[in-house]
Amino acid sequence: MAATKASKEQKYDRQLRLWGDHGQESLESAHVCLINATATGTEILKNLVLPGIGAFTIVDGHTVSGEDVGNNFFLSNNSIGKNRAQAATELLQELNSDVSGNFVEESPNKLLDNNPEFFNRFTIVIGVQLPESTCLRLDSVLWSASVPFLVCKSYGLIGYMRLVVQEHSVIESHPDNALEDLRLNQPFAELKNHIQSYDLDSMDKKDHSHTPWIIIVAKHLERWLSEHNLQPPKNYKEKEAFRQFIREGIRKKENGVPEDEENFEEAIKNVNTALNPTKIPSTVEDLFNSEECNDVTSQTPSFWVMLRAVKEFALNEGNGSLPVRGTIPDMIADSQKFINLQNVYREKAMQDAAAVSKHVECLLQSIGKVGYSTYIANRRCRCLGKNSSFLRVVRCRSLAEEYSVDTVNKDEITSSMDNPDSEMVFYLMLRSVDRFYQQHSRYPGVYNYQVEDDISKLKLCVNSLLQEYSLNVNIKDDYIHEFCRYGAAEPHTVAAFLGGSAAQEAIKIISHQFVPFNNTFIYNAMSQTSATLQL
Amino acid sequence: VALSKVFGSLRKELHDTLSTCKVLVVGAGGIGCELLKNLVLTGFKNIEVIDLDTIDVSNLNRQFLFQKKHVGKSKAQVAKESVLQFCPTVNITAYHDSIMNPDYNVEFFRNFMLVMNALDNRAARNHVNRMCLAADIPLIESGTAGYLGQVTVIKKGLTECYECQPKPTQKTFPGCTIRNTPSEPIHCIVWAKYLFNQLFGEEDADQEVSPDTADPEAAWNPEDTAARATASENDGDIKRVSTKDWARSTGYDAVKLFHKLFKDDIMYLLTMDKLWKTRKAPTPLVWQQLEDSASPQELSAGSGLKDQQVLGVWGLCQLFQHSVETLRSQLQEMGEGAELVWDKDDPPAMDFVTAAANLRMHIFSMNTKSRFDVKSMAGNIIPAIATTNAVIAGLIVLEGLKILSGELESCRTIFLNKCPNLRKKLLVPCILDPPIANCYVCASKPEVMVKLNVHKTTVLSLQDRILKERFGMVAPDVQIEDGKGTILISSEEGETETNNSKFLADFGIRNGSRLQVDDFLQDYTLLVNVLHTEELERDVEFEVVGEAPDKAPSPQTTPEEVNSVTNGNKDSAQPSTSSKAEDDDIMIVDSEEENEGASSSTAAATSGTKRKHSDAETGETSTKRPRTDQSSAAAAPTDDDDDDDIITLD
Repeated sequence: MAATKASKEQKYDRQLRLWGDHGQESLESAHVCLINATATGTEILKNLVLPGIGAFTIVDGHTVSGEDVGNNFFLSNNSIGKNRAQAATELLQELNSDVSGNFVEESPNKLLDNNPEFFNRFTIVIGVQLPESTCLRLDSVLWSASVPFLVCKSYGLIGYMRLVVQEHSVIESHPDNALEDLRLNQPFAELKNHIQSYDLDSMDKKDHSHTPWIIIVAKHLERWLSEHNLQPPKNYKEKEAFRQFIREGIRKKENGVPEDEENFEEAIKNVNTALNPTKIPSTVEDLFNSEECNDVTSQTPSFWVMLRAVKEFALNEGNGSLPVRGTIPDMIADSQKFINLQNVYREKAMQDAAAVSKHVECLLQSIGKVGYSTYIANRRCRCLGKNSSFLRVVRCRSLAEEYSVDTVNKDEITSSMDNPDSEMVFYLMLRSVDRFYQQHSRYPGVYNYQVEDDISKLKLCVNSLLQEYSLNVNIKDDYIHEFCRYGAAEPHTVAAFLGGSAAQEAIKIISHQFVPFNNTFIYNAMSQTSATLQL
Repeated sequence: VALSKVFGSLRKELHDTLSTCKVLVVGAGGIGCELLKNLVLTGFKNIEVIDLDTIDVSNLNRQFLFQKKHVGKSKAQVAKESVLQFCPTVNITAYHDSIMNPDYNVEFFRNFMLVMNALDNRAARNHVNRMCLAADIPLIESGTAGYLGQVTVIKKGLTECYECQPKPTQKTFPGCTIRNTPSEPIHCIVWAKYLFNQLFGEEDADQEVSPDTADPEAAWNPEDTAARATASENDGDIKRVSTKDWARSTGYDAVKLFHKLFKDDIMYLLTMDKLWKTRKAPTPLVWQQLEDSASPQELSAGSGLKDQQVLGVWGLCQLFQHSVETLRSQLQEMGEGAELVWDKDDPPAMDFVTAAANLRMHIFSMNTKSRFDVKSMAGNIIPAIATTNAVIAGLIVLEGLKILSGELESCRTIFLNKCPNLRKKLLVPCILDPPIANCYVCASKPEVMVKLNVHKTTVLSLQDRILKERFGMVAPDVQIEDGKGTILISSEEGETETNNSKFLADFGIRNGSRLQVDDFLQDYTLLVNVLHTEELERDVEFEVVGEAPDKAPSPQTTPEEVNSVTNGNKDSAQPSTSSKAEDDDIMIVDSEEENEGASSSTAAATSGTKRKHSDAETGETSTKRPRTDQSSAAAAPTDDDDDDDIITLD
């Protein structure tokens, strides 16, 4: 077992540096369903099998054709005539022996007819090159089962993704420029004591120049507050004055020239970071105020129970603040001083996490849930505590909402279409092509001799779509011609692009790390542009 | 729309081009594997691929043409075989070789209609750039790092070349910082890697680890420095035996090594008291004391995630002892005269560096680091995943199709963001910039000015440090423009080696001298104007005029940023597409900005003026790079203008 772990650590080393061991664990316990092993489908799955998902199941009722082999790396000439799910599973399985591959030789429609619960078991369902009607059926089944659904399509030079998830919680959103959580404006008791233990004036020179900047700022802030009616420096001018105040704390040589104290320079540089007031971010405040957080019942998902516990913490032990994050940036200091300071924050973070954990226990008891693993709870609470300012909940609309005349997001569509070449036009074209398929049971332009005929037929579909939704927008004829020319082709390089981006979104969903897009993504391979739309 | 006509169904002309044209893929790593697959399935029939590297376990999470059974084999060869298994009808030629090998000359490059780089190091990128300029073949350059990536197109005379925008030179650390006065963890890690080579690997005079008695800062006056330097050279007692010989004579006794490195050498450093006037002095370690005072916890080595753990001092001692013993027996098994090569993915080698670096960090009052973090820094590890490479390789082929259908003007530089930016764009395409007129590579008569001390710079360091390392040449010939055409350096073996140890002044080179430098392989001539100066900083050998001097790396180095402060291993001009110690698929195109973007406003400011993103299709105009875009926006809510982690742009 230990050996396996070590070899996995080696194999996955480069990705563990992005999502950590726990991200990898989530990945390894995920079961992904792919509907349709087309080029786009197998490319997506390849990028999930390589980093090591637990299992996949391919659902596909098609038989492999020569055309499939032409653009799909995971189907070979020998697979022609075989079921596509089976053939692709065999080759994808070879990529990673840690992944278990399964297949179902049936069309999704048939499964939906006979066994709609089939799809409930998956961590995520990825549907590729599906007609509108099947998408809508899956949408309804998966929406009520709370299984995330990712719809993907490569159509000529256009890539399309749509994420359908009722609610997706993100504990580790990995923001790019997270502010530090230092609590200098309202130090907790242990931090106060620790600051007290320093006396900058009586230190010898070396200790003085190896005191962490956090202590330096805290010490100067204390004195500043007492001299300024307990008001911290607020605006630029006051902060400048505060910086000057710190600068005066630098030791002087006998000749009056200031010593070269890098830690003080660091303190001056970090004044903004240090004075950043401790407060609950509005995104988290909103979550606290939401119904799910306040009405915890036995049906409430664990994320909300934990969130409620964090809220309870903030209202009680936290005195209006979130749990302490417990990490401090690297800084100039000698090891001992740094470690001591780090421990003050770390221990406080552990304490806070334990308090949150207690609240979780109480809440669970109050809703009659027992036997919940406290081990897991403790570990998750620590993670939650560390990330409490970055918690995010993504709520997408269902496809049903997007497609209904009553709930269509007309504003987003019409405002984007102010620019007639915006990526929105491709969304409208894809919808029109779907409509074409519904009416003719084939896509426009698949046969060369029909292209001209199909152009006028597709134009009718475009117009009926716009009419149905009373969209007062103009779609250039060029786009209609172009979509006919595509002939529903699935060029490999577009499939490869989408394979990468869709797998990335799936990993976000599975690991609950990083924020997925909400809710539609369009890629235009012609101009190499992309856009996300909220539909 | 015209393009879509071509691509939409891959019209016949383009299809014919694809099936007849020959293309070159340089590198068969993360991007290379994806690229080969995409090319074959797009209809390319004649592909050549070159890669020096062999397959490692850590490649398998993304380089899908390789499996466990292929570990240790040639990447190019296995990639070819795997692709042929699926698509037996294409012609693929694989070279398990360095692209910098002279066999791949301008004639070789002229065989191709298109060259695509899927490289991991700047030296090879520079070289291929020059070869493609010389052969006038279009080049697609690409790179990824974690979730970020980019693709760009280079065509002689029409676009910027890879070297038009000066890339910050790789940070190399002054010898005395490494040997005497480390102030950051990276200094200790570099020291530990040197130590590994001194003890177990190939000894290198530039990788000394013992105290540097000639440190100019330690001495009272210049004469004294000189005297000390001579003294240490003549000093027969202390360490004129090589470190390795000495270690061998002790039988690689871990405790004896420990005491020499972490006690005796440190005590010696303490005698150089001038160094510690302003710095915190190091504390020597004594094995027995550490063992006696080890906490019971430490004695029963911790369980759990070994990689992420930060060990205590005694734990480090044990790790040191254990790894020395393992490496010693490895060396013994290999027989007389054997040498080990440091590899971040080799566990005992990594353990050794973790232990030695951390012990030194402890001695110099730095915060110690986990093995996981040390590995990032020591190996210049850049996270890499399948998804980003897939996206980038998809973009490369589309750019390639545009080039082959004669639509070069519609090619773009494309940046891939981590997530959609504030304008909701995951991809940011930018129009290609024209060449920079005074680029020292692609200008019609390239010229540079170099500041150096003609009395202190040897011919060898002109060749190795300046011409090869800094200006990316492979085999330079140098002629002095003194009216006599004196040959200073000849790339022919045995012609000018006797010049190597002489100083430039010995050949009459002085302020204002001009050197004509030719690299025959790269078909590249550079005129070097010498500016003599006596005022270079400690340990700086030369400066290229008009370039910002190296900036010290920021103290808060996160793993992601590490590749901008490598110790010359990644981007040194070693003639290889990638050496054992390197990682693959690293983004070098502008990667330094990428990496420094978050912490350095100067980098952001220069990059801000650099790119003109005007995206006709979307009506978007911006002069910012996508990454800095995000950071500046995210930073906006804070009120001030001068904080360290905030970038002000435009």
